Amino acid sequence: MTEAGVLTRPVARPDLLLRRVGSEWVLYDAARAKAHVLNLTAAVIWTYCDGSFERSAIADAIVRDVPGLDITRIRDDIDDVLRRFADEGLLR
Amino acid sequence: MRVRRIAVAPQVLEFASDDPIAARALAALYHAAPASAAEPTLRYALRRAPEGDGWIATSPSRPDFGPAALGDAWSFLEWRATEDLLNAPARDAVFLHAGGADIGGRLVLIVGESGAGKSTLVAHLLLRGHRMLGDDVVRFAPAGGAFSAVGRSLKLEANSLREMPLIATRCANGVVGTLLAAGCYYVSPAAIRRGWEAAGGRPRAVVLLDPADRAAAPGVVRTSEGEAAVYVTQKVLGEAAGGAPRQEDLTVRLLDVLADVTAYRALGGEPAAVAAALEREVAR
Repeated sequence: MTEAGVLTRPVARPDLLLRRVGSEWVLYDAARAKAHVLNLTAAVIWTYCDGSFERSAIADAIVRDVPGLDITRIRDDIDDVLRRFADEGLLR
Repeated sequence: MRVRRIAVAPQVLEFASDDPIAARALAALYHAAPASAAEPTLRYALRRAPEGDGWIATSPSRPDFGPAALGDAWSFLEWRATEDLLNAPARDAVFLHAGGADIGGRLVLIVGESGAGKSTLVAHLLLRGHRMLGDDVVRFAPAGGAFSAVGRSLKLEANSLREMPLIATRCANGVVGTLLAAGCYYVSPAAIRRGWEAAGGRPRAVVLLDPADRAAAPGVVRTSEGEAAVYVTQKVLGEAAGGAPRQEDLTVRLLDVLADVTAYRALGGEPAAVAAALEREVAR
């Protein structure tokens, strides 16, 4: 299920809460009493972490949603963000 | 026995003493809070030691303190009263370790570690005509998502009064509600000006005070709203303690309430200059 250490079809932990604060987003992990600040890109990636999207599909969807983005750059960003989600224990 | 009861809703604090000197000192504790006739939820007492040498301070859930000098015994009670409020069980409201003021109709929450300068900044804002929420403790009502004021006396370092001659004069004249205890002046906001209390509501801004920023160029700069919200929910709310379920509910509620804040970081410079810079930024 993993590719180069990154989940291919990432699944977000369902107990985490995403809240907008100003121009950023905060992901609250009540079980660990910890909150994580996400930028808009990371927050959008988070919304696609439901197990039905592969990384490439997440990149395609984001590029569709936000015209003008570079697909290669977005793929790199997705890899970085998913690694961070995994490292922080935010994925199942 | 002289007894003073005050409302710091939903708590009712009682300060008692059988000594007129102690009673005058106790008058400076949460001096600006309204009197209450309700049954106290937190009781404090200050009395002379049996041998007449020093003072004994009594508080809930802590051994008696003393015999000690009056200022030290008073400081113990002030510390305990604030800690007890921060740890009080949540009912309609909880207390958070933060300061705040109303700047031009916008509530501003001021957060930072102890010693970061919250009290001094709030005092300068009060002197500049802004009403205050508090210098170190503010009330948060989760149901309505509103912050409101706490009538705690401002704790000010003696050297900070040099920049605040009005407050220094009040303290020098021994105005009721001011007290010098254990190296710090405690000054009731009501002793500085009438109408000190900000109306409650949702904060529009959060200001982070970090002593590490003092060496930076003077000013106030925008910073991450997300980081500010995390600071409030993890640090400020965390210090208010409480069980896990309560903490979770409160955290989510706080994040919702902070959704539209603008966040600032106060940099170096004299506190008066920081207050002026903050005024300009929040007014934009």
